[in-house]
Order: sequence, then structure tokens, then C-alpha cells
Amino acid sequence: MQTAQLKIGSPITRIDGRLKVTGEARYASDTPLGDPAYAVLATSAIARGRITDIDETEARAVPGVLDILTHRNIGGAVKKTKLFSDGGYVGTTIMPLGSDQVWHDGQIVAVVLAETFEAASDAASRLVVRYAPEEPAAGFDSAGATTVAAKDVSKTHEDPEVGDAAAAFAAAPVKIDAGYSTPTQHHNPIELFTTSCAWSDGKLTAWESSQNVTGFKNGLAEQLGIEPDKIRVISRYIGGAFGSRGSLTQRTALIAVAAKRLDRPVKLVASRKQGFTIATYRAETRHRIKLAAGQDGKLQSLTHIGWEVTSRPDNYMVSGTDASTRLYACPNVASKVSIVHADRNTPGFMRSPPEVPYLFAIESAMDELAVALDMDPVELRRRNDTQNEPIKGLPYTSRALMPCFDHAAQAFGWDKRNPKPGSMRDGDWLIGWGCAATMYPTQVGPAAARVTLFPHGAVKVQTAAHDIGTGAYTVVALTAADRLGVGIDRITVELGDSDLPPAPVAGGSNTTASVCNVVAKACEQIRVQIAAAAVAAPHGKFAGAAPAQLVLADWSLKGPGGAAEPLDEAIARASNGAIEAYAENVPHGVPPEGLKKLYQGHAALAGGAKMKDRIQFAFGAEFVEVRVHARTREIRTPRIVGAFAAGKIVDPVTAESQLMGGMIWGISSALHEATEIDRRAARYTNTDLAEYLIPVNADIDRTQVIFVAEDDRQVNELGIKGLGELGNVGTNAAVANAVYHATGVRIRDLPIRLEKLLNAPAIKL
Amino acid sequence: MVMAPALASAQERPAERAAAVADPRAIVSFELTVNRRPRRLDIDPRTTLLDALREHLGLTGAKKGCDHGQCGACTVLVDNTRVLGCLTLAVAVRGPVTTIEGLAQSDGTLHPMQQAFIDRDAFQCGYCTPGQIVSAVGCVAEGHAGSEAEIREHMSGNLCRCAAYPHIVAAIGQARDEMRS
Repeated sequence: MQTAQLKIGSPITRIDGRLKVTGEARYASDTPLGDPAYAVLATSAIARGRITDIDETEARAVPGVLDILTHRNIGGAVKKTKLFSDGGYVGTTIMPLGSDQVWHDGQIVAVVLAETFEAASDAASRLVVRYAPEEPAAGFDSAGATTVAAKDVSKTHEDPEVGDAAAAFAAAPVKIDAGYSTPTQHHNPIELFTTSCAWSDGKLTAWESSQNVTGFKNGLAEQLGIEPDKIRVISRYIGGAFGSRGSLTQRTALIAVAAKRLDRPVKLVASRKQGFTIATYRAETRHRIKLAAGQDGKLQSLTHIGWEVTSRPDNYMVSGTDASTRLYACPNVASKVSIVHADRNTPGFMRSPPEVPYLFAIESAMDELAVALDMDPVELRRRNDTQNEPIKGLPYTSRALMPCFDHAAQAFGWDKRNPKPGSMRDGDWLIGWGCAATMYPTQVGPAAARVTLFPHGAVKVQTAAHDIGTGAYTVVALTAADRLGVGIDRITVELGDSDLPPAPVAGGSNTTASVCNVVAKACEQIRVQIAAAAVAAPHGKFAGAAPAQLVLADWSLKGPGGAAEPLDEAIARASNGAIEAYAENVPHGVPPEGLKKLYQGHAALAGGAKMKDRIQFAFGAEFVEVRVHARTREIRTPRIVGAFAAGKIVDPVTAESQLMGGMIWGISSALHEATEIDRRAARYTNTDLAEYLIPVNADIDRTQVIFVAEDDRQVNELGIKGLGELGNVGTNAAVANAVYHATGVRIRDLPIRLEKLLNAPAIKL
Repeated sequence: MVMAPALASAQERPAERAAAVADPRAIVSFELTVNRRPRRLDIDPRTTLLDALREHLGLTGAKKGCDHGQCGACTVLVDNTRVLGCLTLAVAVRGPVTTIEGLAQSDGTLHPMQQAFIDRDAFQCGYCTPGQIVSAVGCVAEGHAGSEAEIREHMSGNLCRCAAYPHIVAAIGQARDEMRS
């Protein structure tokens, strides 16, 4: 038991650890529902066209079947809402069972409800859906796919530019002009996409793994045409999210409608295969990068043109040029993002949405430039480092990119690298060392929290934030322990319930910064109340002191001159019972209406490159060793070292896990993951965990995370930058750069698989 | 490595077999020993061991991550051997079943493997964790936890999307030594 008083920055294991190792942590589909009906989805077998008929005869004949929902009986039951990225709540504007129209392969066409999961599965397999199919467009280069400029369809997208990139490129002595691409990827959290709904007295409770319970509550209210206060969304434990659970998918409203029709709780556990099409994913991207530099390595021109796939009806985009054009000093920058509409489900946020694909391109190109200059890639970064972003000249609040490179390089042993491709070898294994930068915007949103200090010193912290494995429960508890001076074992944290004070979507790596700051604010209100009572007591220890001089620490109220008294006595002076504080926090850069948006469940994050007066990012550098087998071309990654400067680290234990997991995600992004598409049918073909490759334990060897100290009180009062998405940015480029160093083959098209290394000039047997 | 469970032979349950011939969906009734307790099940014979535990016995520790035997989140022990609950029909199980809920002592003292997972922060979201821990207990019992490389190989049937793998290896190393002593 951790009873000593802990501070922000104390390394502690997760306070929810015991629940997670005993099976007692209840994820959404673990909730006991009494006697639920079970739902099983049927999904479309075509990617584009219309449903001409649904023959339900055989399905309804299955014993135990209760109902079958299709567009024919509930079309129009779910009302229209806006896309999350357009200021709404949903991940696709395709209406759930809204009509006979099929927009993509695997679209939900029916919900079968039965007494058991087995009967519902049986019946769903017996539904006969007939279609009038049309020729689908699968993505890039497909006939019928349409391309539009991002700035023509988005209110928020800008194409960053400065100077004259074309003229500077033409005039420069050393140039890189190359195309890069990244594949479709799916989040594949191990918890499936599940929803359970129950109605009682006109009120709906939905249990669903969500990164956005307040948003889901408000979004469902719009979809169902009822008041938000009639809806409660509960998501206390989340079995992985990675962006897939931030916006409402079609299933939630459908299960709510089903539960109402049956007047009975309904439980859906969608299949792994269905998860590929009923939720979002990372769309494939293409990039053209033009870099030009002088012989001194200083960039003279940078151009980043990006293309991204989206669905037919939605303009979803990640537009990562915001970050990629600001990573290095450069006087001439041009950029453009276009989106390509195809007959696909709508893509969405996936861990580091813009930076993973866009920094792969720019950080691969930087390595190519280093080769062209015959310069060490770390030195090339140093020559182009800057404390002001190049587009508008705004200052970074802090930027420790080069310290990160230097710490990681030293730990890695980079100085022992022979830069010649294919020059480092261990028997049949060709050794390659590569590196890349990582950056991620520091974003903070408005948040609310309630902190209750009970008479005997127990503390309850409540906020509708989410612990998606990030350690949110633990960092919130640490913050309260630090500010109230109580042991962590006395602190209870409640998260993941839309009845609690609202917190932002767990996205954009904002949770720790947004939530810890508002919890600290609530704790400060309690301290002020206790301190005011203490100094007001006429003959007390603290009489005459200023309230600001009094602190809560080590289970005591402490004042000037060593004055101290036990916490429970201090509480008793301020209150006959508990002391409760409700705090709201609106961070720098958030417009005044941000607080209202918080209660409406809208994201109102500020930060990154979207601020008028400054720019705020976290930085890091990653170094990877790959080994490529000379005979089989098998690729291994025996070690990876990352150094990160992400402001104040609240809990180094959970932070290290986040960054380590992120780096492994990055390795996966480089070597493993790709959703394959049958281009004739616009259909995903590897829709299970055996064929969609993610690393297994044996794929991962040594990982090292280094924290580079950084004190940045501009970003927020506690100096927290957020790091959930920092670790897996740039890793793909570091791996590709290492593969080049091992083999002399530059892979610009992810993932890197052994067949791409068959013709490797540097490989001598 | 995940072993197939001991399967029932037809002779052991003649009455159930007769019923099954009449209607393959007819409810079957039988007893299963789960976490040292006999439990009665009256279920559709198509019910997997995983769904029997989760939907009928209220034991939701074992998780559904794929329902295809590809992720390992449903790993339980049958006769102290690792078994995938999603690929096993409940009616086919003979031996005693141990789930994550049955690992700790009755006074709440955690199994060394559970404590090691906490100590080493060997999980993040925690969803694959019950399967990882049960699998790890099986891995040590099989004698497949001799080295880090061996642990990695023999734990590769349990996917962790948060990618806590290095910490899982460290936790198993810690618990292995405590389980031996």
C-alpha cells in the first residue's frame, strides 16, 4: 500500500492495477444487465449500390429470435448529426439503417435480436440480403474516386506556406524530390466494439467503451431526439481505444433503439471482422516531398503535398502539414493537402492521426537529404533546429528537440555508426541504425472536476475523463495527493461516467494536462477554504498569517514558522462535514465559448500550431537498430531508444509505458500493419488478428525510454505537455532509415516487408 | 502453446447426446468445476466456454477479443493447461477450469503473477491482462519461462495492443522466481 505522501512526479504503479489483474475491472460488455437480449449485426456484402430486398423468413424462424431491425422498419428512427471533425459527435454521417443505400462494404444492414448470442448469430447468418450493386471506387487511382483540395471543403484547414518554395528549390545545390505512402490501418483495440443499452423511466443508460462520454451523451440525445439529461454513458474501463472510440459509431443509437423497442436491455458485441467497417480507421496517404538545402545542410526550400482517402459523403482529413512544415527552420515552404472520396467507410482519428503519416514522409526525406549531403542525420537536424516555427515566426513555448537527439544518440551509441549502407554486419545479419524526430502538439481543453475532502481526510475526485490505458486514474490521484497532502490510498477517483463533471474527449493527448490542471484548481479551492478558516481563528496556530502562506502537505496544514496541525483538525475548523469544490478550467487559447462547448461534449482543445501568439509541441528523438537477414531478408528490431521532452511527467511509471507502447506502435506501423484492400470490391481482406499483423511478444526486444527534463509553465500551470501519442510518431521513418542503412534500399512505401528488400545492392551473401 | 481441452466422449453423456440428435439447439444441462466450485449450466450446446463463463456464470474476467483463437484474451486453464475459451465448447470441457477470478487466495492475497504484473506495469488498458496473466501462469507451469526469449516465444499467443510486452516479460520473470521459491 502506498501510504506516504506522493507528489506530482512520484513514480507509482497504477491505482486501478488490482482491479485489472483480478478481472474485477468491468469493461462495458462485462456489465451485468439482468436478462438482456443479444444483438448481432449483419453487414453489407457490396461496397456501393442499393438493397433491393431482405428476406427475413429463415432468420425469423430461428427459435429465440425477437426482432430484426433494418432500414425498412426503423429507417428514420435515428436523427442526423454532424461529423465529429465538423463540430458534431459522429464518426460518419451515413445514417444508421437510414435507407436502402450502401455506401461501403461492411455497412450495417440489419440488427438481429434474440434471446441468446447463439440464436442471434444463427439468425444473422440466415438473413438473405439482395442488392443492386454499382462499381465501387476503392481508393487512390480508382475510377470514380474524386479529389478535392482540403482548403475548399474544410473551415479549419490551412495549407501552410511562406516565401517562394519553387524558386528556392530550383536554385538550391542539393535536392530531394520523392514520393512516400502509408497504408490503411485499423486500431484493433483488443476489446471489441460493444454496446449495451437499457431504458428505465424514459432514461437511457449506455455502457460502451468511449473516449468521449460527454460527447456520446449529447450526440445520442440529438440522434434520439431526447434531452441529454435523459442519457447516461458509462465507460469506466476501456479496452484500448487509440482514437477508435472518440466519436459515435452507428451502433450505439441502433442498440438504444433496439432496447426501447424490446423494452429490455440489449447487448451487442460486434465481431472483430465487423470492427473493420463499423468504426473508423487510419486512411491511406500519399506524399510528395521536395527538400532543398545548401552544402551547409541548411534547408532552403520545403514542399509537402499530401493526399488522403476518405469516404464518399464525409470530408474527414488529418492534414498533417500543420506539423510537418514546422519541424525545421526553412525560409521557403509550400504545402497542399487534398482528399480523395471513395466508396469506403469514413476514416477517423488513429493514434497521432496527422503526425504518423506526415512525419514518415518528412523524416524519411530528411534522411535522404543527409545521405545526399554526406552529413550525419543528427547533425542535419541540428543545423535546421529552431525555436520559432518557420511559417509565422511564432515562438515555441519550449522545444528540446536537439537535447532529445543528443540523449538518445548517446544511450544508443550512435557515434559507433559507420554511415555506409551495408557496412555493419553480424554474420548473416545486416545491421542498420536509423533515427528520426518526433513531435506532437500540446493540446489542452476546458475541463471540470469535483473534489470532496471528507472529515477524516478521505478524498473523492470526480470528472468524466477517460482512462484508456494511459494511467488517467493514477495521475489524477497523484495530483490530488500532491495538492491536498493526503496519502494516495485515501483517494478515490471516479472517471468515465457522463453524470460526472465534464472533461474533454480522450484525444489529442490532452487528458493529463486538461484534467490534472482542473483537479489541482479544485484542490486549491479547498486549500483556500481551509486556510481562510485557519487564519481567521483568533487564537489558533495560524492567526495572523496570510492564507496564501498555508499549504497542505504530509497530512497537515502547514504555515510560516513551522506551524502545523493535523489535516482532520484543519478540516474540522473549516467545515462541520466534508469540503467540496467544483472547478472549471479554461486554458490559454480557448475562446470564451469553450466552457459551453465542454458541457455540450464538443472538443474545444487549444494548442499545437493553432494558436495566435505561440506554438506548443512536445518533442523527441528515436533511434532504432534493425537487423535484416542477408539470405531471407527477415527484418528484426532488436532495440529502440527514445528520448522525449514532454514537460512535467506526472507519473514516470505510466508515462514510460505510454512511450514504450507508442514506440512499439511505431515499429508496427513501419513493419507490420496494413489493411489490404480488394480493389475490385473495395473490400478489406485481412479482417482478423491473424492476418492484420500487429507485433506479438516475440517481435519486440529491448526498448528504452529516456525523459529529458523540461519545465514549461507557459503551456499550463502544471507544465504538462501530454505524451500518449508522442512515442509512435517518426518511428516508422527511423525504421525505414535504419533499413536503408542496413541494405541500401530506400523504402518509401509502408509497411516494409521482406519482399521489398529482394533487390538490395548492399546485400552480399 | 495452447493445448486442446480434454474432450468428452459420447459414452459419458448418453442422455445429452440423445437430446442433441433430436434438436442440436436443445438446451443441455451439465456441471462444470470453475475456480474450485461446481457450477450448473443450462445452455445452448453451441455456447463457447468463454460465453458460458461471461454470460451464464457472471465471470467476466476472461475477455472476448476476437472469438477466433487469435488474441488470447480469453485464455483460461483447464486441468492447469492453457485453453482458449472462445475455441472451446463449454459442453466439451471435463476438467476443472481456472479463470483470472480464481488465481488470488480467498483472503485476497494476489497470485505472484498478478502482483508482478502490477509491480512491472505490465499492462495499460488492462483488457488482455486476465488472459496474459492466466497464460503466464500456464507458461511457467509448462516450464517455458526459462529465459526472456523463451517467455517471448511462449507468450506470443497473447496479443497486447497497448504493447506492454517488455514489461510482461519482466513480470513473468519476477513471478517465475517467486513461484519456484
